[in-house]
Amino acid sequence: MAANSTLRLAWRGLGRNRKRAALAIAAIGLGQFAFLATAGIMRGYADHYFDSVTGPLVGHVQIVAPGWREERAVDQTLDNVEAMLAEIRGQSQVARAVPRIYAPVLAALEEDGFVGMVVGADPALEGVANGLLGSEELAGLLGDGRVLVGKGLARQHGIEAGAELAVVGQDIDGSIASALYEVAAVVESPVELVNSTGIVAGLQDAQALLRMDDEAHEIAVRLHEAEQIDQAADSLGAQPALQGTEIKRWHEIIPQLAGIIKMMDMYSLVVLGIVCLASIAGIANTMMMSTFERRRELGMLLALGANPGRLFRMVATEAVLLGALGVLLGTALGACFAVLTAGSGFDLAELGGEESFEMGFQGVQIASRVYPEVRGTDVLAGVSAVLVTALAACVWPLLHVARLEPVEAMRT
Amino acid sequence: MNISRLGLLLVLQVLCAAPSGAQDAVPAAQALLEQFDELYRSTGTAARIEIKIERPKKVRTMQMRSWSEGEDKALVVIDAPARDAGTATLRVGSNLWNYLPKISRTIRVPPALMMGAWMGSDLTNDDLVRESSYAHDYSVTGVGPSEEPPGWQVDLAAKPEVPGLWERVEVVFGRTEQLPVLVRYYDRKGRLSRTMQLEEIKKMGERRIPTRIVIVPEREASTRAQPREGRRTVLTYLHVEFDVELDESLFSLAQLERRR
Repeated sequence: MAANSTLRLAWRGLGRNRKRAALAIAAIGLGQFAFLATAGIMRGYADHYFDSVTGPLVGHVQIVAPGWREERAVDQTLDNVEAMLAEIRGQSQVARAVPRIYAPVLAALEEDGFVGMVVGADPALEGVANGLLGSEELAGLLGDGRVLVGKGLARQHGIEAGAELAVVGQDIDGSIASALYEVAAVVESPVELVNSTGIVAGLQDAQALLRMDDEAHEIAVRLHEAEQIDQAADSLGAQPALQGTEIKRWHEIIPQLAGIIKMMDMYSLVVLGIVCLASIAGIANTMMMSTFERRRELGMLLALGANPGRLFRMVATEAVLLGALGVLLGTALGACFAVLTAGSGFDLAELGGEESFEMGFQGVQIASRVYPEVRGTDVLAGVSAVLVTALAACVWPLLHVARLEPVEAMRT
Repeated sequence: MNISRLGLLLVLQVLCAAPSGAQDAVPAAQALLEQFDELYRSTGTAARIEIKIERPKKVRTMQMRSWSEGEDKALVVIDAPARDAGTATLRVGSNLWNYLPKISRTIRVPPALMMGAWMGSDLTNDDLVRESSYAHDYSVTGVGPSEEPPGWQVDLAAKPEVPGLWERVEVVFGRTEQLPVLVRYYDRKGRLSRTMQLEEIKKMGERRIPTRIVIVPEREASTRAQPREGRRTVLTYLHVEFDVELDESLFSLAQLERRR
């Protein structure tokens, strides 16, 4: 009963100056909306970065020969790759494992040579989504001396499908490696390395070029769940066939990306902090004004024997009500934003009046289109932050009420 | 021999006079450098060479024949091992072509690959085409005795207007002959980048020349994530003929491809 009347009084208190209350609610609502939108965009971007980088190129875990990552020497290969792949695929956390070969070469259509990179890939494994080629049709063209050439490399050197491409490099013994390939198609890959310098050859063709047996430079492993990375890396490290290899988690391979993702989380927290400040300012101002205006009324209630604790509850309830209404408005706006952008996303470049673009990062292409992902935990974080700050914001008005002398207050 | 002694005397005179003015050192050092420049050059040179490329886990040996005319024409054809036989490199001016017999193709090396390894050795493509001159591309900054190896060390600094890899070069000439025995190359950051030892002086034709040249990529070995000790390239002249008459057509693309 007392709680009901406190709530009723608090509601009436807000209604005393509707414009002021509406402004405070709008400010808090906009703050909550800004937080939800920022958190959603940042998470969407972070997930997009993560998927773009770990998906087709890096994988969640990589297995390479010791020193390969630093030296990238052609002869630093993994031996007995088939046995390794069998053990890796035997792990429950592993979704897929793909062997790859990388060899810098001098390539030429006619006399003039240019720099390229032969990427040896298994057509059966790279045609799937999140594969290097991402298309079964393209992957089917690979092998038997047929290669795919990256769009950028092709444009720069006038390479077209059907052309004969000579490549020369060094095999794993240091001897001269040379081959003539037929260009099956010019491809646009999500992997920047492939687009700009890539000559994608079938794994067996690349092995033949470099005089490799059952060898490869790296095995990229993708897990069912990215969160299982530590468990998966540990269990892979215990496999007999993988002894003497280097097993690296994605964030050890590309610490820059891990840093960017962490920074994005921090950015959301900064926005949450700004929301808290906006709430404190809005609520404290409204409550101070409201308390000062009711000085006489509050003094009279105290003179009539009202319990000061009840007055405290009334002011605190009013503050929480103000915050709750604001956060409700912000959450509703945030929900609309999430629903409107979830399917199609939006292009950050277009927002700035630029054309949509793809930028290269760590050898992969990352599009400027982002798909925001607002989660329930974001709403909860916003609501909690606003309610806590609402209570913090009413400390000053409460102190004012506590110091009220009933007789003096009634005189004013 | 007399000329050789005269040269050494000149160096000694210069060294003795050095405290009163380094200017006097320059002519003698200059003469040594000019001689170094001309050591392997002639109007026509034909040679058989063995190159041993040593790596921590393997050693690869190639045998080749080379012909050169003046400063800007050269042809190198690999004879062994069998899998590389027939592979050739032609240099005319600043252009470099590789002929690959396995695919019957000739490919011109682009500028971007000039710093790449030549045939997997510690020599770069750029080493083959650069018309570098110790006497003209560098200024002598000092001359002094060298303890290890024993001899006279000439310090050189690259002239500002001359493009090149090396900022500083130290050439040590032997005490008994005027021939270079060691060259240290420092990059633009002042780091020792490469050393070249010139050994086993033999008479080839009318000239006495170092016939074994050991190239050690110093910086590569010391700064990589895993130091790779034991990397070097040993170039041995098996036979050299100087001032021979060479057919002009030898240094042409058509001839290069016909050689197969």
